[in-house]
Amino acid sequence: MKRKLKIYLPFVNAGMQEVATYRVNWIFFMLGEALSCFVTYFIWAAVYSSGDKESMNGFTMPQMIVYIVLMFLTGTIIASDGAYVVGEEIRDGSIIMRMIKPVSYNATFLFQELGNKLPTEIAIAAPMIITVEVIRTMISGVLQFNALSLILYLFSCALAYLISFYFNICFGFTAFVIKYLWGANMMKNVVVGFLSGAVVPLSFLPGVLEKVFLFLPFASLNYTPVMIYMGKYTGAQLLYYIGLQVFWVLFFFGLSKLLWRISVKRLSSQGG
Amino acid sequence: MITVDKLRKEFKKTVKEPGLKGSVKSLFKPKSEKVVAVRDISFSVEEGEILGFIGPNGAGKSTVIKMLTGILTPTAGSCTINGKNPTQNRQSYVKEIGVVFGQRTQLWWDLPLRETYGVLKEIYEVPEDSYNRRMAFLNEVLELEEFIASPVRTLSLGQRMRADIAASLLHSPKVLFLDEPTIGLDVVVKDNIRKAIEYINRHEKTTVILTTHDLADIEQLSKRIVMIDKGTKVFDGSIAGLKTQYGQIRELTFETGVANAAAVLEYAKHFSLGEEDVSVETEGNVVKVRFNSAAVPVSDILSYTLNKVSVSDISVKDADIEEIIRRLYGQGAV
Ligand SMILES: Nc1ncnc2c1ncn2[C@@H]1O[C@H](COP(=O)(O)OP(=O)(O)OP(=O)(O)O)[C@@H](O)[C@H]1O
Ligand SMILES: [Mg+2]
Repeated sequence: MKRKLKIYLPFVNAGMQEVATYRVNWIFFMLGEALSCFVTYFIWAAVYSSGDKESMNGFTMPQMIVYIVLMFLTGTIIASDGAYVVGEEIRDGSIIMRMIKPVSYNATFLFQELGNKLPTEIAIAAPMIITVEVIRTMISGVLQFNALSLILYLFSCALAYLISFYFNICFGFTAFVIKYLWGANMMKNVVVGFLSGAVVPLSFLPGVLEKVFLFLPFASLNYTPVMIYMGKYTGAQLLYYIGLQVFWVLFFFGLSKLLWRISVKRLSSQGG
Repeated sequence: MITVDKLRKEFKKTVKEPGLKGSVKSLFKPKSEKVVAVRDISFSVEEGEILGFIGPNGAGKSTVIKMLTGILTPTAGSCTINGKNPTQNRQSYVKEIGVVFGQRTQLWWDLPLRETYGVLKEIYEVPEDSYNRRMAFLNEVLELEEFIASPVRTLSLGQRMRADIAASLLHSPKVLFLDEPTIGLDVVVKDNIRKAIEYINRHEKTTVILTTHDLADIEQLSKRIVMIDKGTKVFDGSIAGLKTQYGQIRELTFETGVANAAAVLEYAKHFSLGEEDVSVETEGNVVKVRFNSAAVPVSDILSYTLNKVSVSDISVKDADIEEIIRRLYGQGAV
């Protein structure tokens, strides 16, 4: 384990160096995300002001604001480029360079991306959490900050990131095996966004649909951590949803290994 | 050290008929075509040997290297390197080898070179002190110092190639695979790279397989060559062997005042030689005659020439290896 860490730690470092090179890209990405966050806010503000109910499906307007901000934060924490990067590396053949090194292909990606994300996540998470708490305190008049919720939230985010990472890697390999479904990446983002509650909280959906969506891996991405932070999941429910996250991590981890093997075979008959 | 036994690689290529109709058709019913890139090749390499692997474009050299390095799985046949099968247990196998593909880099595009080596050191578990010694050595032969702090994407081709070769040698591999390591380099850099390869081979008994289109690489580095063409092995032996087997070619050069000497002499007609046995080139008043000395003795050509035209300067020499190879490639193998 320690040896493994020593091997993969340099990739974290490599990832950090990359960020330094492409900082401008990152700033634009964040601006785009923030913009869509504002758009979502205005849509909901309109919905709430036109309705006469104080609370909709268990969300009051202030809670909705918290939800939107947390979704935004969670979204950036769990974002993974895997699908795109895998596709590109296979297409331009640079995957070969990873194959001739004595390291696990998926693991090098994971650690490189962690290096990519860690510094920026830390830089944005703290201000965002503070924003959320300020909003909540201003509205209710009492400080609602709960350290345990925060810790559980971060833990759940870590699991969600792993699901997101392996899911995206799987998607990248699949796109390779069944040839270029490139528009598929765009479509995937929209569908995943919807299924994971980034657009509408899942509790807004009709009963059966909500149940199905909650079980699907996508709810384990954004929705579960956010619900945990907002204190909507407690006790057995909390354990169930964290357990479900663990299940999906293992599921996609296994699947990515399998797809890697299939892709290597495929690569080997088609050539690089 | 390396045993290659009836190695074969077939690729499936999807063929598309031209035009929109073809595109639509291939969408529903893709037609594929079998391409045999490597056709049952066998050879073996001893420990500490440098094998030059040559052949015309598209002969299958890179494909063989990719199979030997575990990137491609052979369609049939087998290869064993140091007792290991490259496609089984990839991770432990690649620890023992070094690979350079001249056409692409194995370095992290965005990392300064120094950091790249740091990453490789951890990946290959090179101990601190041997890493330092190794870097000092590589620095010296490949002159990395001037660009070691720059990100890889900013290096020139020659710098990048030197950096790549250093990377492949960092962990003291037992076998080194070099696919066109001198492509696009200037004379000095080529020379440095050859020196580095030779040094490593001599001092560490590293086995080297190298493909190249620059025959000087082969002449300086390897005693033995394997030549392939269209996926088939056409020659396996020493450079001297190649010369005796195919090297009955001589080149006669003379200077003459006669303007249309070539037409006057008509070697082919006079000695009844085929096109493959004689060729004449005229450049100003210098005439070059390449002929097969097995088909017509050197003395006959000489006396005939001297009798027929007035000659001011004359010489006969062995064809160099390049000449032989040109003939072999040109004939579409043997
Ligand atoms: N991925 C692939 N799919 C289909 N055919 C391929 C593939 N890779 C190589 N080939 C074919 O296999 C043959 C051998 O290619 P290879 O790259 O091994 O040649 P080479 O000897 O390295 O040539 P060069 O000197 O130009 O580098 C060529 O005809 C090439 O078109
Ligand atoms: Mg090649």
